[in-house]
Amino acid sequence: MSKTLKTLAAAMILTLGACSSGGDGGDTASNSDEPIVIGVSLPLTGDFSEPGKGVQQGYEAWAKVVNDSGGLLGRQIELKILDDQSNADRVVADYEQLIGKEQVDLVFGPFSTRLVVPSARVAEEYGMLFVEPAGAAKEVFEQGFKNLFYAAPAVANDHYNHLAEYILAMPADQRPKTAAYAAMDDPFAQGTAYGLKEKLEAGGVRTVVNEVYPPNTTDFSGIAAKVADSKADVLVGGSQYQDGVNLIVALQQLGYQPKLAAFSTAPTNPEFAKAVGNKTEGILSPTGYSQDAQYPSNKEFVEKFTAQFGKAPEEDQANGYTTGQVVAAAVTAVGCAEQGDCQKKLVDWVRTNTVETVVGPLSWDETGKPKGAHMIQQWVGGDIKIVLPTDVKEAEFVFPKPAW
Amino acid sequence: MPSGALLFQSVLLGILLGGLYALLASGLTLYFGIMRVVMIAHSAFLILAAYLAWWLHERAGLDPLLTMLGTVPLFFAAGVGLQRLLLTRLRPATLTMMSVLLTFAIALLIEGLLGYAFTGTQRRIQLGYGSASIEVLGARVAVVKLIAFGLAVVALGTLYVLMKRTRFGWALRATIQHRDAARLLGIDTDRVAGFGFGIGLATAAVGGTALSLDTTIYPSLHWHWIGPLMAIIVVGGLGSVPGAAIAALVLGMAQSLLQIPMGTTWAQTVFYVALFATLAIRPQGFFGGRLAQRF
Repeated sequence: MSKTLKTLAAAMILTLGACSSGGDGGDTASNSDEPIVIGVSLPLTGDFSEPGKGVQQGYEAWAKVVNDSGGLLGRQIELKILDDQSNADRVVADYEQLIGKEQVDLVFGPFSTRLVVPSARVAEEYGMLFVEPAGAAKEVFEQGFKNLFYAAPAVANDHYNHLAEYILAMPADQRPKTAAYAAMDDPFAQGTAYGLKEKLEAGGVRTVVNEVYPPNTTDFSGIAAKVADSKADVLVGGSQYQDGVNLIVALQQLGYQPKLAAFSTAPTNPEFAKAVGNKTEGILSPTGYSQDAQYPSNKEFVEKFTAQFGKAPEEDQANGYTTGQVVAAAVTAVGCAEQGDCQKKLVDWVRTNTVETVVGPLSWDETGKPKGAHMIQQWVGGDIKIVLPTDVKEAEFVFPKPAW
Repeated sequence: MPSGALLFQSVLLGILLGGLYALLASGLTLYFGIMRVVMIAHSAFLILAAYLAWWLHERAGLDPLLTMLGTVPLFFAAGVGLQRLLLTRLRPATLTMMSVLLTFAIALLIEGLLGYAFTGTQRRIQLGYGSASIEVLGARVAVVKLIAFGLAVVALGTLYVLMKRTRFGWALRATIQHRDAARLLGIDTDRVAGFGFGIGLATAAVGGTALSLDTTIYPSLHWHWIGPLMAIIVVGGLGSVPGAAIAALVLGMAQSLLQIPMGTTWAQTVFYVALFATLAIRPQGFFGGRLAQRF
């Protein structure tokens, strides 16, 4: 039903557009009245359906904002979204169909490394610009893709860069000397912790504990005992939500008090504070997106997204929206959006420019890896606030961490 | 070389963990002792009890320990019902094998219902004293772990007194040792077996509550537990509650100490190594004597 409505709306817009430009009587570009069709395949069912739907909302929010403000190059945006069922074979067939058969003007990427890599291959074959919202794993950038760009501030290993810089810039007598790392056996969670580990080790912060635990671990007392015994100044958890909570509670039980404690993912979860008994003060977490971040387009995004979907956007939605922003910037700058030579120009433009987005300014290296880092948030006064980098901070960095 | 403080701390953690394992495994060894039933669903019942404790805590603000007033009798009744209605229908010749299939199905059913009722989200009971601890000679003992250990001691002590000092306990042991002889002596073995099964499941209610105090729970968590628990009762000697308790303490301690040099992933394999070694060297178990001859 909604599809019919959309088609109808698109048709009406088209007719209106045709009338008005007909009235002007002198547009030279042959296709200027037609919508720009963007092909997307997303995992709307299957394993990745939750984040997949999140990205879809981000794409739709972006299309609506662009269309409401007159479109791209004066043309309306039309999204053509297929469901790949979280299946790597389907995603390849979907992009073949979108690019080859339906001749869409542009494509956006799907969700998750597992689907991004095969679909990027198709886009590469057709020479299409391929901006994607979800390929944080290292593998994505080791395939030699020329057209791929990851539309987020950083890959997992770079999440903590701002924090590493901050720590290593401290005066020698205050700088932490030892660090303990506990990471889940998972490429993302481990990647975040080890990114920081490499940088701190290079800066002279000694690693005293380095533990990896399987994803189904429920008893963290053994790991906590090792960490507590090491009396490390810095504690870094490469964690998802629940293991982060379990580890913190186990450490509290052993009376361990680090000067700095950072966990990936867990502290930004809405239920985190209650889960650790509200003893959150000073806990750090990297985040790729914040509704409160003071980047120019973010306020509009949060407002319009909330109006459209009845809730504020999270990271998946922001990544979808960011993808749209990157492609739009290229299309506007180059002045075209269709298959063929235009795509090459778009790719070259993205490669050499910086784009302002809701997650901050983005630029890329030759493999399509973003050059940025995540923002660092910290629990201050019972609320999680951005503390790094300093140009977008909402609160002062608290060090050493208050006792938990 | 690990420091003395870490070793001492790990020994304490190992004892606490072993106590919990002993409590969780005791029911499992009872079922096998009484009627050669391999109860795969035991750990699913543990998780069910933990969920009930969590749910009543969330909804009514009840302390998890109070929820046992309801769950223990409920589980006892469920155990009697399960034995009388389902397990007695299995043919004695294939009982052990078929009980695996039957209780496997029950485990899946419980897991499915838990997922349906409470979703797959991981849950944890938020207690005011959840992160509190007391100091023992420089090491720390978490209050919740101590409570769980206390529950294990009380439950296993009660079980021991029940088995050794009451007429029902004698009848149950007689049924375990020689069912036909017990029947000749006038013991209603079917009834006794039903009660025995009920007691086994009642220990799951206590164990699940102890588990809920300091663990994150989710519907499929029971698969994570059934392996180590099976290993414990085999190492301890099938059907022997004291054997299971000793094996649980030894293996809990081993896991905790091996964690220091080997890390979390490898320390967990101690259960399977012990299981393999037992089956290869001493299939009747290390601490229980011949199959179910002793309690």
